[in-house]
Amino acid sequence: MSGLTANIYLLTPEFILAGLALLVLAVDLFLPDGKKSILPIICISGLVSVGLVSMIMLPGVNISLYGGILAVDAFSLFFKIVFLLIGIFIILSSAQYIKQHLSHQGEFYGLLLFSVLGMNIMVQSRELLTAYIALELLSFSLYVMVAYSLSNAKSNEAGLKYIIVGAFSSAVLLYGLSMLYSATGVTKFVDIGMILSGTSELSPALWVGVALIFVGLGFKLSIVPFHMWAPDTYEGAPLPVTAYLAIASKTAAFALVLRFVCEGLIVAESLWQEWQMIFAVLAAVSMLVGNLVALAQTNMKRLMAYSSIGHIGYILAGVTVLSTDSLVAANSVSFYLVGYAVTNMVVFAAIIAFFNSTGDDDISSLRGLADSQPLLAASIAIGLFSLAGLPIFAGFTVKFYLFAAVASSGFLWLAGGAIIASLISLYYYLQIIRQMYIEGSDNSAHVSSDDGHGVISPSGTISLPRTSFSTTLVLGVGLIVVIWLGVYPGPLLEIIECASEALMGTR
Amino acid sequence: MMPLVYFQILSAILFGIGAYGVLARRSAVLILMSIELMLNAANINLIAVAAHREGLGHFANFDGHIIAIFIITIAAAEVGLAMAIILRMFRNRGTVDVSQINVMKW
Repeated sequence: MSGLTANIYLLTPEFILAGLALLVLAVDLFLPDGKKSILPIICISGLVSVGLVSMIMLPGVNISLYGGILAVDAFSLFFKIVFLLIGIFIILSSAQYIKQHLSHQGEFYGLLLFSVLGMNIMVQSRELLTAYIALELLSFSLYVMVAYSLSNAKSNEAGLKYIIVGAFSSAVLLYGLSMLYSATGVTKFVDIGMILSGTSELSPALWVGVALIFVGLGFKLSIVPFHMWAPDTYEGAPLPVTAYLAIASKTAAFALVLRFVCEGLIVAESLWQEWQMIFAVLAAVSMLVGNLVALAQTNMKRLMAYSSIGHIGYILAGVTVLSTDSLVAANSVSFYLVGYAVTNMVVFAAIIAFFNSTGDDDISSLRGLADSQPLLAASIAIGLFSLAGLPIFAGFTVKFYLFAAVASSGFLWLAGGAIIASLISLYYYLQIIRQMYIEGSDNSAHVSSDDGHGVISPSGTISLPRTSFSTTLVLGVGLIVVIWLGVYPGPLLEIIECASEALMGTR
Repeated sequence: MMPLVYFQILSAILFGIGAYGVLARRSAVLILMSIELMLNAANINLIAVAAHREGLGHFANFDGHIIAIFIITIAAAEVGLAMAIILRMFRNRGTVDVSQINVMKW
């Protein structure tokens, strides 16, 4: 084991990120109220520079720091860039929302940056305690951000439910960690893998330990049956936070699960075959429950919560079929995470822009959006088509790749279930598109008399403000990426292939 | 030296009581206290195992102690946050009874 400062320069991006978060908090103290709008600019330029530093310093590096606690490799680099991009996109699409609806902007951006830092450490960690601390850095920021509208009862309630379930799940995870430690005396993923592959019969303590760790992670990922907090939290949280929860925290937690499973579990092949069944059942239940309950929703945020539970189910199906002999499953999971993140980003950016101008997030309030705000309507429609998995959009390629990986590893029934769940999801996505494109066309008089909406003035002219430049930018870039991934995913897949090789090679 | 299994049974019982408390209690503050019990169950387990292994000369590392210290620190931060949110809840709604916190359902 080398000294504490050996290769510490490899963590420069994390140091810059932590410094940036503190800087934003400090700058916020001295800014007069009117000038707070430079905060998002500082955040974005900081995140961009962290990304550039990582891109310059880290490609080709494959080193474990501190005796194998942190891994600096292609896999963590890939996901770090993904998280930084998510952070930038969230700030761009929600700066206006934050200015309009939230007080204490500086702290909000600070927390956002700290959570990005947590995700960056999480994807690098190769040891349970490190992973747990990074997970808590992410979760703590999210707890505060969810409860950020101080006087809004819904936001309070969402925050309370989230923190109680979150604390409960970390207690379960930690008890699992302690059981695992008492049975084996190790906490590194690689050592866990070695001990598991050496035993043919699991001791009960080891079994309970690993199971409790996955229950804890299941709560964080909102896998059915540990999902009950998710819809309430998503609905009550401020919209940008809902987007952030749905996109970033899920992507990061799955990156961690990927590393844990690849380094710790799949090496013990006979045991992994038993566990695959449990994962497969959880995946199937998640995708069916998520998509079926989504059918009955009337609130946009709540619908996206159930839809994300469904997508978690698909991704978990990909995790189920991870194996030592092929990279296909690991590739498909990473690929799905990227496609899911980009598509959701487009949908949420459009919903946030819509909320800024109307203050309403019910599905029925989207009525006639195609006439009043064609760009937003088109973005939401394309995003939802992509989420449902229709061709030429990212959602189709990622789903195709993932389901093919699942089916080719012998889990045909799981792939079949995933396809059925996708079909179900198409129904409720189409309901929204119907509201935007069909309901509105002959209904403008009705809408204006209905005065809860106020979207369209009595004369039928459009009274909405134009979408801001940053939203247009996010939507434009997002739509291009969604279609690009759907038509020509080759370059991204090559990068992901490198990442998966690094992930599998570090055993 | 006391056998390790005594400590493990104690920690399992504590964890069980904590989990029961989380499910059965109505007050958000008491739920938090129950979660603390669960965290401390993990701590007892970790420290007992680490001390026991050292006593047997298995390996003299301090992983268990270190993990326990980290857990205590994080738990303190967690309680601080949770109390702040509960306080906010109490100001807005005048109650911390979780069975009445039900604006959102299904």
